[in-house]
Amino acid sequence: MKRFNIIAGVMMVAVFVSCKKFDSFQENPNNPTTADPSLLLTNLEMNSFSTIATDAALASRQLVYTQSSSNAQYYGWQRSGMSYSNISQAVKMELEAARVGKSNYRYLGKFFKSYYAILMTQTFGDIPYSQMMQSLTNNKFDSTATRPVYDKQQEVYLNVLNELKIASDSLSGSSVAITGDIIYGGNIDKWKRLINSFTLRVLMSLSKKESNATLNIKQRFDEIVSNPAKYPLLASNSDNGQLKYYNVTGNQYPFYNSNSMKTDYYLDSTFVDILQDLQDPRLFVYGQPTVASGLPANDFDAYDGLSGSANLSANTVKKGQGKASQINRRYAYEAINEPSLLIGYAEVQFLLAEAAVRGWIGGNAGDYYKKGIEASLNFSNFGNTYSSADIQTYLNQPAIALQPGNEISQIITQKYISMFMNTGWQAFYEQRRTGTPVFETAGGGILNGGKVPKRWMYPTDEYNNNRVNVENAVKDQYPDGDNINGVMWLLQ
Amino acid sequence: MKLAACMAFLLALLSSACFAQTTLPAGNNKVTGVVHSAKDSSVLSSVSIMVKGSTRGTTTNTAGTYSITAGTGEVLVFSLLGHITREVPVAGSTSIDVYMQVGEMNQLSEVVVTTALGIKKQQKALGYAVQEVSGETMAKTKVPTAIGALTGKVAGLNVKNTTDLFQNPEITLRGVTPLIVIDGIPDPNADPYKLNADDIESISVLKGPAAGALYGALGINGAILYTTKKGRKGKLTVEVNSSTMFQTGFTKVPKVQTQYGNGDAGKYAYINGSGNGTEGGGWIWGPKLDQKDPSTPSGYYETTQYNSPVDPATGKLVPLPWISRGKDNIKNFFRTGILSTNSVSASVGSEKGSFRMSASHIAQKGVVPNTGVNNTSFSFGGNYALTSKLSMDAKLTYNREYSDNYPTVGYGPPNILYNLLLWIGPDVDIRDLKDYWVKGKEGLQQKNYNLSWYNNPYFVVNELLNGYKRSNSFGQTTFDYQITNDLSARLRTGFNQFSSDKDVKEPYSYIAYDYISKGNYSVTTASYFDITTDLIINYKHRFSNNFNINVTAGGANAYRNEKQLYTSTDGLTIPGYYNMSNSISPIVSSNYLRERRTASVYGMADIEAFRFLYFNFTGRYDKTSTLPLQNNGFFYPSAGISAVLSDVLQLPQPISFLKTRASWAKVNTGFISNGSDPYAHILTYNIGAKWNNVPSLRWPARAIQPDLVPATVKSGEYGVAAGFFGNRITIDATYFRNREYNKIVEVAQSQASGFTSMLKNANVYERKGWEFMINGVPVKTKDFKWETGVNLSTMHVWLKDATDDPDGYYQNIKEGSRTDKIFISASRAPDGQAIYNSNGMQATDPYARFFGHSDADWIYGWQNTFTYKNLSLSFSVDGRLGGLIYSTTNQKMWWGGTAPGTVNNFRDDANAGKSTYVGPGVVVESGKVDYDAHGNIISDTRKFAPNTKAVNYIGFMQTTSGQMLNNYFYYKGTYLKMRELVLTYNVPGKFTKGVFNSASVSFIGNNLFLLAKMPNVDPDSERDQLQTPSMRSMGININFKF
Repeated sequence: MKRFNIIAGVMMVAVFVSCKKFDSFQENPNNPTTADPSLLLTNLEMNSFSTIATDAALASRQLVYTQSSSNAQYYGWQRSGMSYSNISQAVKMELEAARVGKSNYRYLGKFFKSYYAILMTQTFGDIPYSQMMQSLTNNKFDSTATRPVYDKQQEVYLNVLNELKIASDSLSGSSVAITGDIIYGGNIDKWKRLINSFTLRVLMSLSKKESNATLNIKQRFDEIVSNPAKYPLLASNSDNGQLKYYNVTGNQYPFYNSNSMKTDYYLDSTFVDILQDLQDPRLFVYGQPTVASGLPANDFDAYDGLSGSANLSANTVKKGQGKASQINRRYAYEAINEPSLLIGYAEVQFLLAEAAVRGWIGGNAGDYYKKGIEASLNFSNFGNTYSSADIQTYLNQPAIALQPGNEISQIITQKYISMFMNTGWQAFYEQRRTGTPVFETAGGGILNGGKVPKRWMYPTDEYNNNRVNVENAVKDQYPDGDNINGVMWLLQ
Repeated sequence: MKLAACMAFLLALLSSACFAQTTLPAGNNKVTGVVHSAKDSSVLSSVSIMVKGSTRGTTTNTAGTYSITAGTGEVLVFSLLGHITREVPVAGSTSIDVYMQVGEMNQLSEVVVTTALGIKKQQKALGYAVQEVSGETMAKTKVPTAIGALTGKVAGLNVKNTTDLFQNPEITLRGVTPLIVIDGIPDPNADPYKLNADDIESISVLKGPAAGALYGALGINGAILYTTKKGRKGKLTVEVNSSTMFQTGFTKVPKVQTQYGNGDAGKYAYINGSGNGTEGGGWIWGPKLDQKDPSTPSGYYETTQYNSPVDPATGKLVPLPWISRGKDNIKNFFRTGILSTNSVSASVGSEKGSFRMSASHIAQKGVVPNTGVNNTSFSFGGNYALTSKLSMDAKLTYNREYSDNYPTVGYGPPNILYNLLLWIGPDVDIRDLKDYWVKGKEGLQQKNYNLSWYNNPYFVVNELLNGYKRSNSFGQTTFDYQITNDLSARLRTGFNQFSSDKDVKEPYSYIAYDYISKGNYSVTTASYFDITTDLIINYKHRFSNNFNINVTAGGANAYRNEKQLYTSTDGLTIPGYYNMSNSISPIVSSNYLRERRTASVYGMADIEAFRFLYFNFTGRYDKTSTLPLQNNGFFYPSAGISAVLSDVLQLPQPISFLKTRASWAKVNTGFISNGSDPYAHILTYNIGAKWNNVPSLRWPARAIQPDLVPATVKSGEYGVAAGFFGNRITIDATYFRNREYNKIVEVAQSQASGFTSMLKNANVYERKGWEFMINGVPVKTKDFKWETGVNLSTMHVWLKDATDDPDGYYQNIKEGSRTDKIFISASRAPDGQAIYNSNGMQATDPYARFFGHSDADWIYGWQNTFTYKNLSLSFSVDGRLGGLIYSTTNQKMWWGGTAPGTVNNFRDDANAGKSTYVGPGVVVESGKVDYDAHGNIISDTRKFAPNTKAVNYIGFMQTTSGQMLNNYFYYKGTYLKMRELVLTYNVPGKFTKGVFNSASVSFIGNNLFLLAKMPNVDPDSERDQLQTPSMRSMGININFKF
């Protein structure tokens, strides 16, 4: 038995020695559980400043898609998705900022939350806001946290405006510096300019609510514009809230080398008409001359478009004949192309111009307007396709000058041109607010009874995971149910 | 410490049991002896020796010796599983050596199978389903993996074989992935290529949680146990087994139309291949081929093409005749594949021990040019009786898989079929593309008919290279110690190790969806190690002829460690120079380390009562590192009963054997999803992308329940086995019902809460199914024998309780319904007709709509062997019935214009610019439909009218793929496949005498023919993501022993 005991002892040792303790496996060696907020900021910026969207250009009658029938182009879309996962990143950044005492990140967090809340409320109408993020912030997982109620669109706007003001007022150069900032390199002043400029956009999007005393948009607008020391605005293209691209895999222009961008995107003929009518040299950087024309690229007659509402085969036939202008080569063949704008200086000038026309602020609308146009032409001047003399010639055309009674339409048209393949869906939303330009819907491919949709249906995941609240929100807002033609409070 | 205490307690318990039972009634003589196998004279251990009519008994030790006290007039009864019981009178002898005959295996009551932990048991004593397949069945006909050879042979086991080279077959047992065990050592990584089929003695399939309960969490889905061959006592035997198979023809190959070429809207004119004209979009909706045109030099319609010469005078491309040169592109591209398998093994043994060594090499030449796989294995194993009480057994296998290039699978540009089948018009002859570089731009620019979307298939196979090398080592060492006649201990340590090295060479000008490559080189190296150590103590005692117990207790520790490092260039400065230092932008790299540990104690008790009732009990306690500390320990019990009624009841004459069985088990798992990420219960940041070298992190959208508990399966299984007419016909039926609860699943929540879902314990599922096996020997004469076997199985899973959803849904599945529902978004009327929009295209539904089920109704297999003198013919047929399978290949063929169904007059009209096609179906004339939140119709006042909107056929197909004409590309998965055929001639002994002990020659065939509902593709893999055509293999096997 003695030998057995020895062997058994050895066996026991062999089985149980040299094992790591169980608690030593409770830490993931590959990923961190806490982090400096700067690491979250980089990620947030990469997402929020990436605004290049072909669907927006298709829905805004700037581009036409020729590979198959596009729901964006024919207005046959249904649902859209929500952006709360990005708000989560902003909230997590705020939590990490509070943990390490870096308050500036908390105010940037307010900006990003506001940005995404506006993005969503413009898409759907009412959204969860006051009760959102409870699982993340308070670690709550009961049904009130996991199924937050929806807030009225007006409440969302009011809260966002207050949050933006707090962010602008509180960002401070004397607090711990911001790092990981791929937009402004930690420059607090520029962040204030961005936040104030964005606030102007939010206020202008409420132009139908000019008389709403709760919102008080006129005063809010004026408070910013008339106090440039406290509320500076973007002052040139170098202040643009933009994400620059780099020729490194993953950091390149999103359609760089995209097969589809090389073969399937053509200019819309209504867009070509607008540019031709105004002799706008941006046509040369937005499109390619048609193959059939044989004309040089700087000839306005070298360009023609496809019809966004015509059926697919009508467009593929015209494309096959070489009679349509493709989107400019740079969108598919240039790794850096142009930066992606969250909001740019040109837009701020157009906002000021419109506010001046509306009498919200003083100043000369025409001056703001021309500064905006000039900034846009400079921004889009890829490869110096046109000279500064060309820009001046363009600005000096009588057709460009603001005509009384038609100012807002002209301003929005310029904003529309300037936002080609940039600034997300902003051009579409401006058209939805002002009706400029008129989107053509006469062709045989059009869906939705020829109507331009006013919104998107709420996503399926809300119906699955927050049914009662989303159904109540629909009932409150849209008598005809959740459909794409419902008119939200903002547009009433 | 809790664990050690537990172990000590068990040991104490067992030792006390052993001391209590060591006092034997006194007899007159001490009888000793050795028990041998009559087959090969090897010694037999664990032979039970009873003194007839008494309770005295013992067993032989590992050296085959025994010692027992018996009176001179008494009789010793020697019994051992699988052997014929012998009774020997003592008659005054003090030394009795016995040779035991191997029992006839078709005697159902004697069948022995390998069960959990590698323990051999009588099948009749088991309360759960185990099916054993002999290694012989895979000796002749060869497939690339050993597991593939099980296809269709085991009821409930579904082997989904792929047609693609060097891809793993997917295996499911009762719908889930079983554990692989090799010689008692779990192989959680389950590389199907690492085991040499010629080394396999037998494969035992433990079908359910009860059978696998002793493996704990790893065995929750059942297990497949490989037992490898061991050395045998006796003189040296050498076996050579060689098979060579040629992939000579297509079992199933897509048929494409040959009348229309590349182009769009019926037009084609090559400009630069990059999309300023009709050629760039890459459609196969071009002009009709072979159209006479007297005005051209060739007499056919002419247009510029990719191979047009440039007119030196004008600098323009010269039009070429538009004719069908490429009618046989698919067949012209592929070559004859070869699967060559050669193995040699040698075995020798003496009284004390034996060893076996083997080497094998499998060489596979792919049907796709410049592809192939080599697989080499060496193994060495032996056993030795160190003392009369202590013996050891060890085995080590080294295996190396290596491929310089194997095809990329899945729909997309790197798959050659993307460019060879779907996106090439018959105007291009593939053979003209063999010379794949543009002249003067070798190494920089590929030559092709389209340069915006597609790659030249020859360029892909010769320049886009997927290399893979993997070295596997695995083996085990076992010590057995016979403490007393009734008590033994076993220590076994086994390991699996591999290191792998995968590299991808991407050439300049390779076209992916969203980039044209500037060259790239990536390397992924991985190393893996797991070690499992078991200490098992066994006590068995025969109290009387009516009561017999066998108790096993053990402890185990398993640890695994996995590391991976991925490194890639970002562009190559010097084309074709594949080295990290050649990267244009900074190298991209990532790595991980994963460790996991499980410590366990377990026990098992088998009780035999009244010679017909058998009870099995098992229990296991695991502590795992993959759950939060407070919930990381859990217990698994199981119980089974088997009653061999034919041993106690007088049954009607035709029934020669009847057994009923039932088992119950509760098995937990602390592994989240498939267990590959041991940190899945810990919420951490995800590493984000870098922007201009600035790093980022992202907080996950999925929360994790902090107090996760293990997921549980409670299984109940009931079966009956019967033999008729002296067991000429046997039937086995099993019904199982598993209740799966506390599943660790992602429960969605409103994303406005801050998380889109939470990983938590939720939901209750029920898994139910039937398995049947019928085996028989319908004909048996002196010279001729026909053996046949059929197996059938069915299995589905139902959601019983969506525990966290007030509406009773989990995702789209409602409580009470099957979980394999397929949903589509195309809009259809209640009668199934397509609903069209005003533009003549099918509408899209805002809700996911139920379309059908994906599970097979039944899977089946049928094996036959005919033996006539020295000739034998065996074949195996299998397949599935019902269930829908989606086909990407068919959808893309209709979408792109290569499907033969697209050849019609509407297409000619479309080519002429006319809109004449009216999609079959309806439009909504009036009324409206209301849905609830889950898309169920609440009210429907719609009136439908036939769709009358004529549209352009090409535009229609480009938008809808003609899905409504093709059942939305979901095809019935029903098929029947001639899996394998073997015709063997065993060379008679008179010819081989003096040279070989035995020799055989076989004609072998695999995948010989297929009858299927699904067009163009082989449904074997139960999915189609653009697969390699299914090939027929035929060849020769030679086997000799000397």
